[in-house]
Amino acid sequence: MKFLIFSDIEDSAKQVMSFLKGKGDFVLYTTEKGESLTKYGAQKIVLLTGKPEVKGISSLLSDEFSSGGYDLVMIASTVLGRDIASLFSGQKSIEVIPEIFEIKFNSGTVTTKRYGLGGKAVIEEESRSKVFTFLSGLSDDVPGDGSSPIETKNIPEGVVKILAIEQKKAKEVNLEKANIIIAVGRGLGKMEGIQQIEPLVKAVRGELAGSRPVCLDYHWLSEDRQVGYSGRTVKPKAYVALGISGQIQHIAGMRGSKVVVAVNKDKNAPIFQEADYGIVGDLYQIVPKIVSYL
Amino acid sequence: MPYDIVVLIKQIPDLELIKVNQETGEPITDGVPFKFENLSKNSVEAAVRIKEKNGGKITAVLFGNEKGTQVMKEAYAMGVDEGVLITGYSENNPVLTAKVLAQKIKQLHYDLVILGNQSADSMSGMVAGLVATELNLPLLSNAVSIEVADRIVKVSTATEKDVIKSEATMPAVISVTQETNEPRFPPVLQIIKAGKKNITTEQSTVKIENTSKIISKKAPKSERKRLIFEDVDKGAQEVAKVLKEAMK
Ligand SMILES: Cc1cc2nc3c(=O)[nH]c(=O)nc-3n(C[C@H](O)[C@H](O)[C@H](O)COP(=O)(O)OP(=O)(O)OC[C@H]3O[C@@H](n4cnc5c(N)ncnc54)[C@H](O)[C@@H]3O)c2cc1C
Repeated sequence: MKFLIFSDIEDSAKQVMSFLKGKGDFVLYTTEKGESLTKYGAQKIVLLTGKPEVKGISSLLSDEFSSGGYDLVMIASTVLGRDIASLFSGQKSIEVIPEIFEIKFNSGTVTTKRYGLGGKAVIEEESRSKVFTFLSGLSDDVPGDGSSPIETKNIPEGVVKILAIEQKKAKEVNLEKANIIIAVGRGLGKMEGIQQIEPLVKAVRGELAGSRPVCLDYHWLSEDRQVGYSGRTVKPKAYVALGISGQIQHIAGMRGSKVVVAVNKDKNAPIFQEADYGIVGDLYQIVPKIVSYL
Repeated sequence: MPYDIVVLIKQIPDLELIKVNQETGEPITDGVPFKFENLSKNSVEAAVRIKEKNGGKITAVLFGNEKGTQVMKEAYAMGVDEGVLITGYSENNPVLTAKVLAQKIKQLHYDLVILGNQSADSMSGMVAGLVATELNLPLLSNAVSIEVADRIVKVSTATEKDVIKSEATMPAVISVTQETNEPRFPPVLQIIKAGKKNITTEQSTVKIENTSKIISKKAPKSERKRLIFEDVDKGAQEVAKVLKEAMK
């Protein structure tokens, strides 16, 4: 089997290549320059240069798919990835199985799992589809020692004109590697509240993370600290949720944690259904208490 | 310069009210009321803001079932002028949805098509690109801000790493995100007025062959201990123990 992979973020590219190792040949198409991508056993890495216009990229992938003898296409579920997949799907009239977090290759068909009903259901399906978008966390990141050759290709221009690209702040953290994660939600109330959480983070040598509103809407934490369906998927030894209600999109990103601790002032908060240990009360009172017992 | 806008909106089951059948492990959607999908509200809001500044007409198209009239009325109250409800939606299938919507859009006059980037229930993120392909229009996706002037539309798209500013000439398809705007709550009077407005209802006739079949659809398993402490001191002691264990 031969796979065409597209990912515009390094982590997902590494995860999917780690996952596909031994299952077939694969070529990675990416807009990321990282030298470290060459260590995962790709037949080659095609670095896409020029402006990241989604139609341009999907047309390029579409041509490569037709001429390169590929069987299946794996596209990282990112902002650009989902659009590229949908345009590819439209151009080629191939149905996409979107947002998968598990995949098995049978002879002629593929079995996948994804969330439905906003995460209230896991849909397991069998299909003859050839194109998939995959969530972050598909597999652990396991580098090998190979060194894939790098080739460059220019993204053709499309009808959408890209005027400017501003880089966001560089990534601060690799949550996937943290042993203990202390995550805060809207219940924190204010950005300054983080200072009162830090002693706990330090004491357990953990990493700070947050729900989507905290990272994306209020910017109390940087975006790479967002856990959840549209953020990072994490599996730490212990996950501590402080002032997080436990909406399904958040749970989707931390479900794999070994132990879950929740602190919430509302005893009916859904997070307590997803917790091993819960404390009902004000996080500002409880956090120093936990620290004092450590 | 006035712009005519088609907004694509969606009804979804109220996800908070979905219970699980303890015997089969399957979520129960029968009898769960429908609501106006979150990003569809952002889409209507985006359209109404453009209309307020420039004039033009907003037509909302909803592919769903008969219960969609309630959602359409809310859309009217937010500022939509005309609504088309296409019934016959059964399972989430982005290819089918895009074909149904595109077929209708082709019969309407429009400068812009606006829809959500990833709906709160199925979250596929596929419909915008598929609609753009069906209509052969440029796709400006995941907009966090939208500006229009002289038949040119500019958007900012926040990806995981960058903010990309791009533009296209109308007609174009725009997908919006939760961050695009804060949807308005229409005043009561407007909701009452909206209740009397006509909604065009049609039955979908598009059929496609399914390439996938569902093996199971179950609530995700949660096997947590659920030891909940209301005694804060005891809870803190227990949690400290757990954290010490995890640090090893
Ligand atoms: C397509 C899509 C993708 C999404 N992706 C994500 C994602 O990746 N990650 C994510 O997190 N969300 C995501 N969301 C959003 C998600 O639906 C919720 O809106 C979000 O998780 C809620 O964040 P929260 O729990 O911090 O806030 P809230 O739901 O507002 O909860 C705050 C909680 O804090 C508690 N509280 C308040 N004060 C205190 C106090 N002093 N002490 C203790 N507890 C207190 C309250 O009781 C409440 O339970 C997504 C939504 C959509 C539609």
